[in-house]
Amino acid sequence: MAVTIRRLEEFDEVAGFDCGDEPLNNCLKRHAWTNQQKASIGVIYVAVDESAPRTVLGYFTLATSSVPRERFSQMYVRGLPPYDLPLVLLARLAVDRRFSGRGLGHALISEALKITLRVADEVGCRCIVTDAYPDKAGWYARYGFIPLEGASASGPQRMFLDVRTIRRASSFESSPAER
Amino acid sequence: MPPAVKEKSKQAAHAKPPALPKRTHKTKFQADLAPSEDQMVRALKAELQMSSNSDFLSDALTLFRWAVSERKRGHRIVSESSTGERKILLFPRLERVAPEVTLPHVDIRWTDRELGSLAELVSGQPAEPTAALIRAMRR
Repeated sequence: MAVTIRRLEEFDEVAGFDCGDEPLNNCLKRHAWTNQQKASIGVIYVAVDESAPRTVLGYFTLATSSVPRERFSQMYVRGLPPYDLPLVLLARLAVDRRFSGRGLGHALISEALKITLRVADEVGCRCIVTDAYPDKAGWYARYGFIPLEGASASGPQRMFLDVRTIRRASSFESSPAER
Repeated sequence: MPPAVKEKSKQAAHAKPPALPKRTHKTKFQADLAPSEDQMVRALKAELQMSSNSDFLSDALTLFRWAVSERKRGHRIVSESSTGERKILLFPRLERVAPEVTLPHVDIRWTDRELGSLAELVSGQPAEPTAALIRAMRR
């Protein structure tokens, strides 16, 4: 498989996409293009294979957000810069189940983190957050996402990854054994 | 040995050697091409009436460098047919250098506990990257 990841385009084939989760399927099939092009509430990046460059095999959605400084309790404000806290939101990430186990999830999150780093370089952001399904929290934790306290027992788990950690990871060179 | 000659050779010994023409350091470039890619290169060379691989690579490099610089400036690369139909080049690697990675802004709901936890993490020392994260950034 020669996978490329790019922005969703109007005539991409999404009708057959099935990640096994209806809200994630629907989001791609019904709302993704509108959300990206008209409502501008997220940018959707899709994974496609060179052999079928219009068929979406997986996707993720990114947006930016910020936390106003006054929302933080006085206890923490001292350790924070005197501005709103800018961040990137990884809103969704899904892989068509027919293609699971082929490293698509890894490729998608890799691209999402690289984009986050570019956003940090160009417009500034401090971290990336995502709302993970509880059964997927372990997968995000492998990449260093840390669960935030205060998630509801049944709802998604909000998770955090510091841009400084991503930047440090990107500066690592391959170890001699891997060369 | 006659003195004049001796003097001359002394002078020659102290004189700076004549400046040699600067050698341009050339780097060899070798690529493993699939048979189809090799065919493509040959066909393109024939079409462009090029005989050497170096000229081919040099021109390809010039074109690629131009495309990168245009995309870096936020310009889109468009082809226009004689009837005015336009197509925009979308090349994933080029999109990586495009400046418009700015993403739309959305509001997120936060609970007080989540914000407390977030503030603690942001104001503390960053965690060390995991092996999976390092692999992801190398991809």
